[in-house]
Amino acid sequence: MKVLFINNDGGGFADYVELEEGTTLGQLSDSKMHGAKASNYLIRVDSRPAARDQVLQEGNRVSMTPTKIEGANASLLLAA
Amino acid sequence: MLRFTPTAWAKLLFLRDLGETEIGGFGILAKDDLLLVEDIELVTQSCTWVHVEFDDVAVAEFFERQVVAGRRPEEFARIWIHTHPGRSAEPSGTDEATFQRVFGRSDWAIMFILARGGESYARLRYNVGPSMDAILPVEIEYGWDFGASDHVAWHAEYEANIRTPGPEPADATLTKQASCVFSPHEQDHDHGWFDAWHEYADFDRSLEEAEHGFIRDF
Repeated sequence: MKVLFINNDGGGFADYVELEEGTTLGQLSDSKMHGAKASNYLIRVDSRPAARDQVLQEGNRVSMTPTKIEGANASLLLAA
Repeated sequence: MLRFTPTAWAKLLFLRDLGETEIGGFGILAKDDLLLVEDIELVTQSCTWVHVEFDDVAVAEFFERQVVAGRRPEEFARIWIHTHPGRSAEPSGTDEATFQRVFGRSDWAIMFILARGGESYARLRYNVGPSMDAILPVEIEYGWDFGASDHVAWHAEYEANIRTPGPEPADATLTKQASCVFSPHEQDHDHGWFDAWHEYADFDRSLEEAEHGFIRDF
């Protein structure tokens, strides 16, 4: 089966991947996100949060996107 | 060299100056020129005078929306743009930590900061092979076709995405201005606090006669 996988690591990925029937979200993330810290990503299936053991279905859209993107102004922080 | 189309640059200036807080977004790059920013897109974010944080779900929706629109991640997720309300565009420790944590697993990424005073900072980081950082000069690209400004749409995008805390107490403005004195980047340049202090300390001028006597507006 094919699922659309979206991620920005490496060269970036936004394409269909071929998976075995019964593949879970956890198995996909382990294979694609080797060494990544899970808490640094929001993982969604078809725009909804999903559990690691969710079995993926043909045509699912899986996105693994960064979390806690934040910036600060050092000079003003020092002054505050 | 990192370049912006005139329209993208105008939009960034407009968004930077619309409120008093930091704001941030992603640069949308030309398909055939990954160092040319054609647009800046905001995501829903919490903003204060010294801090900006993107909403995680909004980031996910931004990614999904861009992919549906036919863009590759390298066209929409590699230039992290944010503003600094002061004069300094130097990245803070928080900026550096985010750049490393969020963009450190991408092959390459750019952190771009634009300060209200006009200073900008662009740094390209390669994370593959012998990883390296390079400061990039920034230019406005007038040699390409570019569109017109659209303040109505830009304002609507700002209103839809920027979440700011409620109004501060009346005396906070003065506190904020005064605290700028101690900013290492601003103390030599900004004398607005001095005028504010004199105005504050000028008892004679601030005294007003009210119905039941004199009042002072602090």
